Amino acid sequence: MRTTRHVERRTFLKAAGASLATVGLTAAGCGGGSGSSGGGPVTIRYAWWGADDRAKKINESIALFEKKHPKIKVKTDFQPYVDFWKKFNTQAAGGNPPDVIQNAVTFLRKYAARNVLLDLNPQVQAGNLSTDNFRAGLEKFAEIDGKLLGLPVGSNSMSYIIDEKVYEKAGVTPEFGWTWDEWYAGLQKIKSRTGVPGDSGPHSIMYYYDLKLRQQGKAFFTEDGLGFQESDLEAEWTEAMKRIRSGVYSDAKKVEQIKPKAATAGGLSAGEFTWDNFTVRYAAEGKSSYGIAPIPTTDGKKTGQYLGSLMLSGTARTKHPEEVATFINFMVHDPEVGRIMGYDRGVLSTTEQFEAFEPTDKVSKQISEYETKIAETGVLEPITPHPAGADVIEAAFLRLATEMSLDKASPGEAVDKFFTEAKTAFTANA
Amino acid sequence: MTLTLDPTSSNRRRHAGSLGWHLGALAVLAVVLYPVVWVLGGSFKPGNEIIGSLDLLPTDPIVANYTRLTEGIAGIPISTFFVNSTILAVGSVGGVVISCSLAAYAFTRIRFAGRNLLFTLMIGTLLLPYHVLMIPQYVLFQKLELINTMVPLLLGKYLAVDAFFVFLMVQFMRALPKELDEAARLDGCGHLRIYWSIVLPLCRPALITSAIFTFINAWNDFMGPLLYLNEPEKYTVSLGLKMFVDQDAVADYGGMIAMSLVALLPVLAFFLAFQRYLIDGMATSGLKG
Repeated sequence: MRTTRHVERRTFLKAAGASLATVGLTAAGCGGGSGSSGGGPVTIRYAWWGADDRAKKINESIALFEKKHPKIKVKTDFQPYVDFWKKFNTQAAGGNPPDVIQNAVTFLRKYAARNVLLDLNPQVQAGNLSTDNFRAGLEKFAEIDGKLLGLPVGSNSMSYIIDEKVYEKAGVTPEFGWTWDEWYAGLQKIKSRTGVPGDSGPHSIMYYYDLKLRQQGKAFFTEDGLGFQESDLEAEWTEAMKRIRSGVYSDAKKVEQIKPKAATAGGLSAGEFTWDNFTVRYAAEGKSSYGIAPIPTTDGKKTGQYLGSLMLSGTARTKHPEEVATFINFMVHDPEVGRIMGYDRGVLSTTEQFEAFEPTDKVSKQISEYETKIAETGVLEPITPHPAGADVIEAAFLRLATEMSLDKASPGEAVDKFFTEAKTAFTANA
Repeated sequence: MTLTLDPTSSNRRRHAGSLGWHLGALAVLAVVLYPVVWVLGGSFKPGNEIIGSLDLLPTDPIVANYTRLTEGIAGIPISTFFVNSTILAVGSVGGVVISCSLAAYAFTRIRFAGRNLLFTLMIGTLLLPYHVLMIPQYVLFQKLELINTMVPLLLGKYLAVDAFFVFLMVQFMRALPKELDEAARLDGCGHLRIYWSIVLPLCRPALITSAIFTFINAWNDFMGPLLYLNEPEKYTVSLGLKMFVDQDAVADYGGMIAMSLVALLPVLAFFLAFQRYLIDGMATSGLKG
């Protein structure tokens, strides 16, 4: 009995082993290998966030790049914004990030601190990458501690989107240099004359509060922390609650319900703060006509605006820094790529591309005019790259302000929670 | 109809009660089905009428959302995603059914040292959250150079990693009478033969249950394919669905909703095809003496 049992166990294991081996083989057959072979064409991986529409444009640009640089193959991978960063975070931790990524200022210091991003300066010196011809000093956008960690593909700026029809009906005309008081008086007028709330409620938008602080010579973020006090934010949020109750800001519940559609596009308010390149969405989602209004000011001059941007960054572990630089160089400078991409990721950042693309639709023209105008009026300021942890803090700011406006927390409680969470985020990333 | 034909009042009362009961059930059903009908109606609405509208049915039904699917996403035909998902889901089902039943057989029919300890440890893995394993697992597969293949998504299924299904089958196999094994052994069967000819056929309901759940889980899995697949051509349906919408761009909700309905069909078909066996299996196992 004993011996037979032994034999049985062995055959049993053998069978199990054999079935596993076949599984391994069939599974390996499912996916081809990645990575590059020596000598032949080099393959680099390029990951970005976006959807179908951007994918088509990027595929077209890459086809052009591969035609001009037959020795470099580019493989792309894309997800929506939130999933993109989840995936990138795991890849970076696993030591297998893509060679080139689309990047944003919120994540710059975070990954710079972990040495995930490639310093492009040596490539600039070697002549593989040019920092010439960038508009409005954008080439300095991703420079941290003397390292060049990315180059912008497009610029965008915080702006005030308005429902033109409602503004016209109420007889309110926004002008460059209008103050916050004039703006608020306008909102009240809109509410009383048309019944539409004047604004969707800006209190949950970190970049709106950043503008206000910048107008007072402060900023939302310093290099390693928050640039304001609990009392500042509590005053801001208490006032916002008052305005929601009076109906000048939209009912927060309705704003939440209509998401992901923007409240202004859904007719819930006459205007809201958002990035100028998001205007495209309003025209597509809403039924009215939409325009970009100037940002209200504190002293009649300073708007606190700066050009933000999406950029392309290389990753430090890449085996092909030269090819990465060649690719980024092509994507930011080639006029044909500019014509293909248009203002998909903001107003094109280099003069070659900016001049090559003639916007034909109304919205793109508006965005282009808006950015040219704010550049001419000289309101643009340099941006400080956000400290590591800024991405978590931005999300917390949005969440807590929303909870407050839904009456789940008082302004005082929300502010306390925000400061605690901010502190945790900074420590976790220190 | 029966109400008017029925003469007695007690019958009438009973019918009225049953009518009320059915109406009430229908009302609850309507509430439960509301989201499904909304999605169904939404798939026939133009994109900008979908979001922020509670209307069930479109005012002007259009089929553009469905015809749009034939264009594919980002230059990749929709069928690619379905093929990938099918490979993943069917592969997972095969793996779970074979490996988990083998593991369960070992736990119930073979006495070996440390059996109870191993069983406890296996149950313990149920308590381990996926997010803890995510990065170490990624590093492991990256070192094995298996990223961007289906292997990381399938391998675990063939190694009986799904402790829940092992547990389910163990519970089921424990209820099978030992006498059947002993009779088979007297006839000269080894473990493999007992497993294959005696235990496995009797376990059919447990196997079917595991198969259905594995199929649904694998078909809907998002995090795994998101992390391990690096080329849109290898994406599964759950990843493909997300390609319609991004915060930066004009979202194509119409396309997304139409595709999510199409994506439901295989899961529904799989369930309908196998639930028959599920009930069948329970009925027959209940009859044994």
